[in-house]
Amino acid sequence: MSLSNLIKNWSSLRVKRPYEDQYKDKDYKWAMVIDLDACTGCNACTTACYAENNLPVVGREAFSKGQAMHWLRIERYWGEGEHMDKFPDHGAQFLPMMCQQCESAPCEVVCPVGATHHTPDGLNSQVYNRCIGSRYCSANCPYKVRYFNWWQYPERAWPNPLEQQLNPDVTVRSKGVMEKCTFCVQRLTEAKNRARTEGRRVADGEVTTACAQACPTSAITFGNLADDKSQVARIWERQQIKLASDKQEKDENLRGYRIFEELRTYPSVVYLERVRDSEA
Amino acid sequence: MSSSNIDRRDFLRVLGISGAAATLAGCGNTSIESGAELVESYVQPEDFVVPGVGVYYASTCTQCGSGCGIMGRVREGRILKLEGNPQSLISGGKICGLGQAGVQVHYNPDRLTTPMIREAGAFKPVSWDKAMATLTARLGSSSTLSGDQIAVLTGEISGHQKVLLGHFLESFKSANHIVYDALSPAIGQAANKAVLGVEQPVLQIDKARLILSFGNDFLGTGPSPVHMAAQYARFRKAPRGTLIQIEPRMTLTGANADRWYAIKPGTEGVFALGIAHSLLQHQEYAHAVPAEIAEALKQYDKDTVSEVTGIHADAISHIAGMLWEKSPSLVLSGPSAEGHVHGFNNAAAILLLNLVLENRGKTLQGQASHPFPQLTPASGSTTALAKLNQAMSAGQCQALLVMGANPVFTAPTFVPFASNLAKVPFKVAFATQLDETAHQCDLVLPLLSPMEDFGTHVAGYQPSGVELAIQQPLMERLYPETRGLGDILLDLLKQRQPEAYKAFPDYYAYIKTAVTKAKPVFKSKSSDDDFWEDALRNGVLRLEAPPAALEAHAATVKVGKPQALETDVNFPFFFVPSVRADLRDGRHANLPWLQESPDPLTTVVWDSWVEIHPTTAAQMQIREGDILEVQSATGSVRAKAYLFPGIQPDTVSMPLGQGHTGYGRYADGMGVNPFKIFDPMYDERTGELALYATRVIIKKTGEHARVVKDEGATNLQQGRKLVATMAADQAELAKEISRVTQ
Repeated sequence: MSLSNLIKNWSSLRVKRPYEDQYKDKDYKWAMVIDLDACTGCNACTTACYAENNLPVVGREAFSKGQAMHWLRIERYWGEGEHMDKFPDHGAQFLPMMCQQCESAPCEVVCPVGATHHTPDGLNSQVYNRCIGSRYCSANCPYKVRYFNWWQYPERAWPNPLEQQLNPDVTVRSKGVMEKCTFCVQRLTEAKNRARTEGRRVADGEVTTACAQACPTSAITFGNLADDKSQVARIWERQQIKLASDKQEKDENLRGYRIFEELRTYPSVVYLERVRDSEA
Repeated sequence: MSSSNIDRRDFLRVLGISGAAATLAGCGNTSIESGAELVESYVQPEDFVVPGVGVYYASTCTQCGSGCGIMGRVREGRILKLEGNPQSLISGGKICGLGQAGVQVHYNPDRLTTPMIREAGAFKPVSWDKAMATLTARLGSSSTLSGDQIAVLTGEISGHQKVLLGHFLESFKSANHIVYDALSPAIGQAANKAVLGVEQPVLQIDKARLILSFGNDFLGTGPSPVHMAAQYARFRKAPRGTLIQIEPRMTLTGANADRWYAIKPGTEGVFALGIAHSLLQHQEYAHAVPAEIAEALKQYDKDTVSEVTGIHADAISHIAGMLWEKSPSLVLSGPSAEGHVHGFNNAAAILLLNLVLENRGKTLQGQASHPFPQLTPASGSTTALAKLNQAMSAGQCQALLVMGANPVFTAPTFVPFASNLAKVPFKVAFATQLDETAHQCDLVLPLLSPMEDFGTHVAGYQPSGVELAIQQPLMERLYPETRGLGDILLDLLKQRQPEAYKAFPDYYAYIKTAVTKAKPVFKSKSSDDDFWEDALRNGVLRLEAPPAALEAHAATVKVGKPQALETDVNFPFFFVPSVRADLRDGRHANLPWLQESPDPLTTVVWDSWVEIHPTTAAQMQIREGDILEVQSATGSVRAKAYLFPGIQPDTVSMPLGQGHTGYGRYADGMGVNPFKIFDPMYDERTGELALYATRVIIKKTGEHARVVKDEGATNLQQGRKLVATMAADQAELAKEISRVTQ
């Protein structure tokens, strides 16, 4: 996307999407809900992501330079304040963080070659063979969930016969390209194709992401927001979260929120607040 | 409960039914179609192999002893990914990170591919014929060994492999099957047995309104973490249960507590009795314990207890009040409470609370009786290893077979296993990969990976009824020169007792016969073959059975004077090892996904570290990354400091599992091995090694290195709404839509 094109279309990029009922007549809008009260921080989801999406193990040295390729990571916080000199009386605060599939994604507008763009079913996609590695998208992502291939991982991350574990449905990325969580787009594509062949829409629960499938506490719900009977759509509705709103007007006792909503990224992931018994 | 409603008909297919014969059909009247000529395709597809389509087969995870049912996604003949099997009540269709990494055991680049024999001090690859000839020369029909001259050392093992091992030893008139678990729960099991009448009660976490856990890490390293996690998810739904965790160093379960208390290590029993004392003030509990215990409990007033444990006195009456209010409750004891000289007493005191609160039959049940006791796992212990070590030292042991245990790595320094191992003339390791113990053996036999072998497994923890879990190959063997343990044992048995075993051409035939023989127990009316194929397709045979009742032996709980901890001026810090849910005792340190998976509490990867409380660190002027020497009376290790708020300030903690020196490229050189600094401290009742009783001194070395971790510059949210928290009385969980409760 050239600069002139970017400036010319700025208003459409920043204002027009999302709009109310954008996906009303569409077949698909993929979305997620993560219940932080159910998440135990156990890392089952992150390992499932490595297995499903051919994420390279980078090793200690690369990890120390911040070059880990975990599309889904569990962040751990100890609370508010300046110092952590007291005991964490109410436990740790775990946050599974991955690409939020923003409806108005800050990464998309800065890509000079249109390698990251929005799909009709509401995913923020990454086209590997268009990517030139400018890393503008990563710099502009407020969630810091884009990962750059600093090395030619296919040559070092899967010594024989580990390469036989690679998922044939997912590309192995080479040096110089950006990558990130895709909501397991290979699973979505397969499910959509099957449904289309059978002349129907993908049913709720027919397809899920690797992280949601593994999660031992079922903290992650994935589904189609355009299907208002889907679990995910019903939770969004019950939590009074509107996709196209940057400030939710909702009841006080509802736990749903989106991270950095105020930045007008319009994320597709709703988190449900962690709960703690304040009497305990 | 299951992850999704994915159509199971699409997912589960039977392995092993005969494939449709290649048929050719078409039009015209060539000699081929008329049958005069036969043309065979160069490419013969195997059953169910459709290029580009993944097919799921059921099996059983062997990464820990939980016995989770799994499904393997197989495509073009390769196993790609593991998922939970919804047919299994234990896994409930879910899987943990450790289970996921099972495929990396199979595809590990450091796997053994041929048998190896020690010649002139070095391993030399040999053929199976040569290896088996060596083995049978010593242990075949002509062997003169008997009784204590032969021993088999394993990790936790169940099912028909355990049965065959027993038969093999019996043929030598030996019962030396030693089950060694470096992280054995034996002390807690002994206390359960004494107080409740069973070694491992069934925990009904989802039925509890309040869980009070003394260091029990049921979400991370307990007996069945995936099953417990599913129960925990229901526990957290309306009416939401409350979790209070008391431990010296925060575990994964502690990280999820509503209220977390740091306690001085080893004083958990005193705290529990303090709560018991407080509870007995309530009239309704007054008759729950024998009079002499009630009398002895009077010494446990809250100020005394507070002084011993380091927890504020008000906490005791507060917790007692909550226990009274939120019934039924569940009180759990865990390794950090049990691994002390008086560990048994600690655990018994904690269990006493369940009797006072009358949790028996509500949140605690007995396991259903097992129809096949010979298949249940033998529980491991550390005393078993000490006994073997003595026998080896005395020169009694002439032949030792090792599998699934790595005592050269996990045995403490004062159990000189490695040097005594050298005194055994014939040592055989059965392994998929060389580890520190296999490196010292005379013969190494490469095993099939768990993805290539048949097997049956019975979990030691059966949440409801009984599951006989079936393991089946998820792909063809990668290496022709590898064999299954069952097949090797069967070959040896055929040599020693040809009449008894001649009916079984291989281990597959053996377990197929054994499982189909069990058909009446499962009340199946199908034919033998159908029964077996159903078992393979479902991956599990389930038997519903009522839970057993628990006994109550309050009088066995010893209530002495509340003892304050002695301080040791030479070793001022308590040393609390932490067990990682993925690496465990180090047996999984060879799996790259797990090495790169950040420790949940610290986010450190590929390394060992020393956790120290920030206030203690400030007093000692220690910064993150300062290299510390952690020295006990037994030994010392060096690792980087990590400032960790979830730890009692007089305590330092290090994770177990790292520090390998002969376990392949992903494990070697990563961190240090704290097993080697444990002091010779034993639980006085069971004689088990007390893993949490070591004292250490911390010395700054003046060196510094960067801690390799995932967390960023801050641990704090600093006003960003990242993880928001709502008070339990504000959240209206009952109105929420949730798959967990539906």
